[in-house]
Amino acid sequence: MLIDGNNFYASCEAVVDPAVLGRPLVVLSNNDGCIVSRSAEARALGIRMGQPYFQVQRQLERLGVIVRSSNYALYADMSQRLMSVLEEWLEALEIYSIDEAFGLLHRPGGGGRSNGDRSGGDLTAWGHALRRDVRRRLGLPVAVGIAPTKVLAKLANKWAKTAPTGGGAPPAVFDLGACPAAQAEAVLEATAIEDVWGIGRKLSRWCRLRGVAHARALRDLPTGELRHRCGVVGVRLQQELRGRACLPLELAPAAKRETCVSRSFSTPIDNREQLREAVATYTSRAAEKLRRQRQRAGALTVFVRSSPFNGTSFYANAATVRLPLASNDTAVLLASALPLADALFKPHKPLQKAGVVLQELQDQATLQHHLLAPLPPEQQQRRSALMATIDRLNRHYGSGTVQWAACGLGAPWRMRRSRLSRAATTRLADLPVVRAVH
Amino acid sequence: MALEKAPNAEPSTEPGIEPGIDLRIVPRSEAEAVVAKATLAGAPDPHRPPRHQPLPLAGAAVAAGFPSPADDYIESRIDLNDVLIRHPSSTFFLRVSGDSMQGAGILDGDLLVVDRAIEPRAGRVVVAVLDGAFTLKYLNRHRDRWRLEAAHPDYPPLELSEGDDARIWGVAIHAIHSL
Repeated sequence: MLIDGNNFYASCEAVVDPAVLGRPLVVLSNNDGCIVSRSAEARALGIRMGQPYFQVQRQLERLGVIVRSSNYALYADMSQRLMSVLEEWLEALEIYSIDEAFGLLHRPGGGGRSNGDRSGGDLTAWGHALRRDVRRRLGLPVAVGIAPTKVLAKLANKWAKTAPTGGGAPPAVFDLGACPAAQAEAVLEATAIEDVWGIGRKLSRWCRLRGVAHARALRDLPTGELRHRCGVVGVRLQQELRGRACLPLELAPAAKRETCVSRSFSTPIDNREQLREAVATYTSRAAEKLRRQRQRAGALTVFVRSSPFNGTSFYANAATVRLPLASNDTAVLLASALPLADALFKPHKPLQKAGVVLQELQDQATLQHHLLAPLPPEQQQRRSALMATIDRLNRHYGSGTVQWAACGLGAPWRMRRSRLSRAATTRLADLPVVRAVH
Repeated sequence: MALEKAPNAEPSTEPGIEPGIDLRIVPRSEAEAVVAKATLAGAPDPHRPPRHQPLPLAGAAVAAGFPSPADDYIESRIDLNDVLIRHPSSTFFLRVSGDSMQGAGILDGDLLVVDRAIEPRAGRVVVAVLDGAFTLKYLNRHRDRWRLEAAHPDYPPLELSEGDDARIWGVAIHAIHSL
């Protein structure tokens, strides 16, 4: 089954701020770029997803819509709370994204998840109980899609949120494995081929050319032709649509092979110093992530690009350097990254975004000692103690408490979050106020 | 050593300071304590700050000779998280403003522990949503109607009409104030 939060970011804002409860609210992406989440009330006003903020700013003001920047501290905390409540309800849980999780439970009265048996118990009531529990404990609305496979569960979840109900609210819980066969067919037919989970652009384009327009048609294609044309990926999708599970829950996230930190700038960068500061900031963030994952990087890439919209010719470039010895030491990584930033900078090419990717990650424990190690062991140890200390200070007193001078101070290119709400669940100074005044 | 801080407590964060922009000055002794801990402990590096008190190491140093007679009596230290929080995922902290709940022992400026998993019943102190703001009241039953009451003689009770139960946001379980 798939459970996901409705309008997750907007809903989180409403949990800790009753002033926005029941009012139209939108949440903006990084740099207040475009609309990434809308409350049900904003949706009802016809505000569309993905609209650039500057285009609709006036309209939002006129309609009295509340606007918020993305408050990741709040969303991440609410997400963790959501997942731990879901864990109580399910036998196994795969956290798929900040607001989505696949869960496993067995249908009462036989009919396990691995077959398409429709005779088993109806789990709709169970789904509603889960919904009510999440609502009461966290204040978050969720939708539940129940089916024998992940692909079908995703589809059922979408249906739970969008099923036409003749003006009423959507059902919020939908059990594809227990509904009448005719309805199940109708749901599959109503799911456009592009909306099938995991289909990818190439496969969906082939399906369209072949006249396969919806999920049911893909399910009923001859398997032989599908295997010939689309290989095992297509066959797996088809099996999932037929109710035979091929994609198991991923319970332990695979060790990361690379890690990336990138941001758009609030104002375009057109001087070398500022680009160096930005790249240094991202590099030290990425190094911190590596140390938390207990990994070291064998290679490092810096990429930059200009805005595709500003009229001047588009510029995008990237450069990679291999480290002589895998490292997660901020100073070592900076020494590799900054020359790349210098090399990528072009005067008269204002940059809109830059990023740092750390690659060839390896476990800290499996690192082999190098004959040509730049530092003797005791100095190495002092370096890692220094890194550990810096990480601890930054965790304890807030990120950026201790940082490399190369990262700059008060840089004007930093992410714009002009309408950020408070870190209401994670920071003591930001707690919501409860009034005892009447 | 002083008590470990609760995971949510961030003592030196002043309001209005954007994390990640400027260096902050922390009291030297505190900073040193953190530095010392990091270096001494060999950086255990958990994915998040420790949720519980460290276990006492009373018996750990005994390498030879008689085992410590206290070994059998080791218990973990008292953890305020365990005392104050029953359901971590549904517990939120709020800051009290005003004196209308003085009679319930809840003072202006208190840190309020609110558990949303607890059923709001008559006699409970609840956080209600009124006019777009959180409000702290007693929930009570009066002549078959629910109503919200202040714990202060100057403030009249407020009747709840049917279907208003959705406005109860959570149940307050502790108020913490410094003396």
